[in-house]
Amino acid sequence: MIILDAKLYLNLIRGGASSLAAKRQEINDLNVFPIPDGDTGDNMLMTIRAGAKADGNSLSEMASSVSSGMLLGARGNSGVILSRIFAGLAKGFEGLDNADAAAFGKAMKEGVASAYKAVSQPVEGTILTVLREGVAAADGASTIEEYLDLWIAGMDLSLQHTPELLDVLKKAGVVDSGGAGLLTIAEGMRAALRGESPLEEGTEPAQQAAHVDFSAFTEDSVLEFGYCTEFLLRLQRSKVDLDSFDESVISAWLSQQGDSLVFFRDGSIIKVHVHTKDPGAVLTKCREWGEFLTIKVENMTLQHHENHMDRRFKLEKKALGIVAVAAGEGLTSLFREMGADAVIEGGQTMNPSVERFLEAFDQAGADTILVFPNNSNIILTARQAASMYEGSRVEVIPTRTLGEGYFSLANLDPGAPVDESIPLLKEAASSVKTGLVSRAIRDASGYRKGDYLGLSAKDILCGNPSREGAVLDLASCMGAGESDILVIFKGADAPSPEAEALQGQLQKLYPRTEVILLDGGQPVYDYMIVLC
Amino acid sequence: MLKLFTDTDTDLDPQLAKQYGYSLISMPYSVEAKTVYPYVDFEEFDSHAFYDMLRGGVLPTTSAISTERYLEYFEPDFKAGNDILYVHFSRAMTNTFDAMDQAIATLKAKYPGVRFEEIDTKGITTISYAIVREVGDLVKAGKSLDEVLEWAKTEVDRFAMYFFADDLKFFRRSGRVSGLAATMGTLIGIRPIIHMSQEGKMVSVGTAKGRAKAMDVLISKIEELGDDIASHRICIGHTDAPEIAKEIGGIIEEKFGKQNIVYVPVNPTAGSHCGPNGVGVCFHAIHR
Repeated sequence: MIILDAKLYLNLIRGGASSLAAKRQEINDLNVFPIPDGDTGDNMLMTIRAGAKADGNSLSEMASSVSSGMLLGARGNSGVILSRIFAGLAKGFEGLDNADAAAFGKAMKEGVASAYKAVSQPVEGTILTVLREGVAAADGASTIEEYLDLWIAGMDLSLQHTPELLDVLKKAGVVDSGGAGLLTIAEGMRAALRGESPLEEGTEPAQQAAHVDFSAFTEDSVLEFGYCTEFLLRLQRSKVDLDSFDESVISAWLSQQGDSLVFFRDGSIIKVHVHTKDPGAVLTKCREWGEFLTIKVENMTLQHHENHMDRRFKLEKKALGIVAVAAGEGLTSLFREMGADAVIEGGQTMNPSVERFLEAFDQAGADTILVFPNNSNIILTARQAASMYEGSRVEVIPTRTLGEGYFSLANLDPGAPVDESIPLLKEAASSVKTGLVSRAIRDASGYRKGDYLGLSAKDILCGNPSREGAVLDLASCMGAGESDILVIFKGADAPSPEAEALQGQLQKLYPRTEVILLDGGQPVYDYMIVLC
Repeated sequence: MLKLFTDTDTDLDPQLAKQYGYSLISMPYSVEAKTVYPYVDFEEFDSHAFYDMLRGGVLPTTSAISTERYLEYFEPDFKAGNDILYVHFSRAMTNTFDAMDQAIATLKAKYPGVRFEEIDTKGITTISYAIVREVGDLVKAGKSLDEVLEWAKTEVDRFAMYFFADDLKFFRRSGRVSGLAATMGTLIGIRPIIHMSQEGKMVSVGTAKGRAKAMDVLISKIEELGDDIASHRICIGHTDAPEIAKEIGGIIEEKFGKQNIVYVPVNPTAGSHCGPNGVGVCFHAIHR
């Protein structure tokens, strides 16, 4: 009889990750929308992989390490729920060196409870149902092998029924993608338990390439922020007396050269992080004490500098910080103009991880941080990050779309007490109607592939072979004439003259509504229209 | 004889000033470190070009004029022994009048017995324009200096002005509007409604969502406060937004019948504080 110990548990997780990697595209394709949507397969895969790097001697330690890895790596709703399942398991295994079928079953029930707690309003017909029914089917199994067999069979059956519980699945003719992801993981776990060779790795999920926008620093730019300069310096015996050397000589000198100084010594290695306008002088001077092991110098004016601005080391905190999620250069800078301290790149097809939120909270460095997730699939991740973050009060304004986030943030009066602001911001967000125009990637709901679909609150309101036609139809369906303001966010693929013409047409059609055009530059959605 | 003075912050242009016999004191603004004196450094104000420059991102600053300059303006009339009446923009908005007070004290010492009087319009741009013209009308009709001053005691507070602007970064930077939330500048489409208070300051009295609603608020203010509007000019000032100004004018006449409506481009110095696409309406009222 197999007993589950730390090593086997890690193997199960790895088996699950491997199985999911092979099938991630299939799971991505279980999409209720005929347009690119949140990629469940990718989100779950990145989440479980973050857990597969765990270590620990006892089952309890290993499960806890897996859980905290997943917690940090969790992306998207399905990823967050997955991380909570394994958090529940870790709780169930607490204090155990190993587990038999009964202990495993008990832990799995903790997993169910923890997953349900992750969402404020659990919806049946989702990963939650699949998990719960699978666990119920496995109850009373006498071995771990039997448990997994029954669990998988139960989940498979449950998954096939999800379209009966959720209308959107039925309409799209698919089963729930999160449930399918979990089933795939469970199959991988069973393969690992049986000692079967891990399944062939599938193609890697598209990793977000480090995005450096060189146009942010042109021939005429003035060096305003300097260079983020980081290096490891190995102190040299030929240059200093290692035993008596006082490294504060270096830190004192460095503190005169720039700011955001992070400095520590570990044996003969000195780690330095400093923002300076003259990295050359810093490097030359430091060679008086040693030689470099690594050097990294980056111009902080370039867009990616935000990732390196580590505010954890800054002493003074401001009262209010703002973190928003946005996709597209235009929207990112619009949110920045509105006062966002950190803008996390993300959106419909790219859900940021809990860890990315935590970094952004560090960057915001404020007593209270307001978070605008701006996508219904990101709210849960933001809340999870908020609940984990220590040192600041973090409040998530549950904005479901970029339009809601933009308008809500526009209503913020930073001078007002936060507790008064929060309900106003939530109210502002909920008063907004957001419409999206995107191209159909397959035939659906009576529209053809290639048509432009007008969507609002996940409903397809209209479709039109012409993009402009779709925008006009959508505005009409949404009742543009009854709103005071209509903001058009032009997407990356929509040409400016077309957007300007649309602005003119809409203004003529709805003279009482003020039509404002902004360059959002967002991907996927050629136009987003926001009625407020 | 009575000599009238006003300043370019009251929107009066040289042609109209000449008709009334006003001498114009030029109130400067600066763009990229270059100081411009309206109607001294240019003959005609190209409102569209100026506000387009602001749309393009230029943020002009304004500055006070020197005691010396005030001396140059007023000394000839002190010397000639004329009575002087200066109808000016709000003292509460500027420190430029400190320099003027010094100049006047000097001139009074030098030319004792010369009478120098002021009417503070307790406003700037359109509201000042309306009052400056009413004063001009009274003088033209033969009213004496004392009669005009008596009129001003009660009537200055009976010109009300309400306005909105598109882009609040100008107000925010100038810091001349009270009651405005600190960073409302980016509030897209949401416009604070600002009025000229009885103290001669710009005060935000609420917000309106969308231009149509903002226009509704201006009209509702005329309904609420308007008094004998038909016997006075209704002045609609705008910072290069003639279409919106005309639209408001149309609604006013639709609602209140034919009126004496005057459209006034806001002078560049005041416009530097409110930015382009702003519109305001000034009317005779029970109070401000």
